[in-house]
Amino acid sequence: MRKQVQAKIKRLELRSSSGLWLLALFTLLSMAAFRDFAILPSLSEEVHAFLGKGPNPYMINWALVVYAFSALIMVLTQMAGNKKPASGLPHFAYLGGFYGFYHLTYSLEENFWAVFVVGLTILGLQSYHIWNYYHEQIQEQKEILAELDKLVD
Amino acid sequence: MFDNLIARAIVPVTIAVTGFVIFGCLLLYSFIKSDMTAEAVRHVDDLVVTVYKSTHYAMMEDDRDSLRNILANVDTLDGVERVRIYDPQGTPKFSDFEQEPVGKTFAPEVDRWSTSLMKDGHPERESTQYKVDHDNGFIAVTMPILNEPQCSTAACHFHADSKPVLGFLSIGLSSANLEKTLALLRSRMIAFSVMVLFLTVGGVTALLRVNLFLPILRLTYNVEQAATGTAEADLPESDHKLGKLNRDFRTLVRQRDQAWQDLKALEPAGRESDDRPDESRTGGAPAGHQSVAETGSGQDQEA
Repeated sequence: MRKQVQAKIKRLELRSSSGLWLLALFTLLSMAAFRDFAILPSLSEEVHAFLGKGPNPYMINWALVVYAFSALIMVLTQMAGNKKPASGLPHFAYLGGFYGFYHLTYSLEENFWAVFVVGLTILGLQSYHIWNYYHEQIQEQKEILAELDKLVD
Repeated sequence: MFDNLIARAIVPVTIAVTGFVIFGCLLLYSFIKSDMTAEAVRHVDDLVVTVYKSTHYAMMEDDRDSLRNILANVDTLDGVERVRIYDPQGTPKFSDFEQEPVGKTFAPEVDRWSTSLMKDGHPERESTQYKVDHDNGFIAVTMPILNEPQCSTAACHFHADSKPVLGFLSIGLSSANLEKTLALLRSRMIAFSVMVLFLTVGGVTALLRVNLFLPILRLTYNVEQAATGTAEADLPESDHKLGKLNRDFRTLVRQRDQAWQDLKALEPAGRESDDRPDESRTGGAPAGHQSVAETGSGQDQEA
């Protein structure tokens, strides 16, 4: 029983740091985006032709506003209800998508900081919620562990 | 640090408000910048059309002196650093050569960009092109001089009917005023964001502190006092912000005091001095007999 609780604490500790890993991953992606994805090979004319003309940067800006507002409300609602935090991977994918769209429409340089700040805010809040939620669960398990220790003594 | 109740409540608010305000300002600045740039380009475009229409008659009449004079006059306009008319091969024919700008100038940048558009086979060769360079501080326009029916039939000089473009008019204007306005806008937005951040985070913190944290701190202090044996009557007065929670806590302490008094009344007088059950549990303080003066008021404690 004691070992089970200890194993659960370890699992929870791993989960509580998942938000920070995601933040680190986003920072790496942002570093690549800051250099306009120079580390990646540029797309050939055929691929550009296949993808077609990208959306207007104005439209992407508005989509980013709508996404940022909805994502913040969602994360804050999760926090307010103390619900189990969702994985931050969809947010990472959305933010990567925005970098991609800006890159394809040649407007990444102008809009890099907007996406970066939105990403840091959303993923920062998400990882804070993940850390907080699992930290509380770890505390509960530690209390159980302490009770078990008392019973053993 | 994050175990603290205040930190837990304020950190998410701070992250969300700070992030969204900065993001909003960045995006707003980007929108305003592109709107202002579009307006500046429209203004430059009007100037180019005016120059084109002014030179049209001189070109039709092959009046080179008038053409040179018009370009020289346009060149004296504030902010204009380059006015040139090129032939179809991209060689300058009429230009502000005589008043070649001195010092730091963007004219070579404008020339480089303009001539790159004039190359044979360039897809945009037959349409007006614009370039806004915020780094070098200029707005440039290159307009093709298209072959009109009057040109190919003019008696003074002949252009083949098959040549769609007879030359190019290129103008480069300084965007210093635009950059100055954008810089002013940027600094104002930064000041505004900092103010909004301070007011929002400070306001939320103050409201939470007054309406939630301080009442909780007072209740926590009262619970500590009650746990060490202070009677309900001796506990500091609470505000009523926590409502039922505070009332129920005081009722519990009152019931405990009553139970002790009843227990005391039941005990034989001789055993009272050496058999006090509550002392061992409350760390030795006599139950219900500790005054506020001994324990402090609790107003200045933090969570």
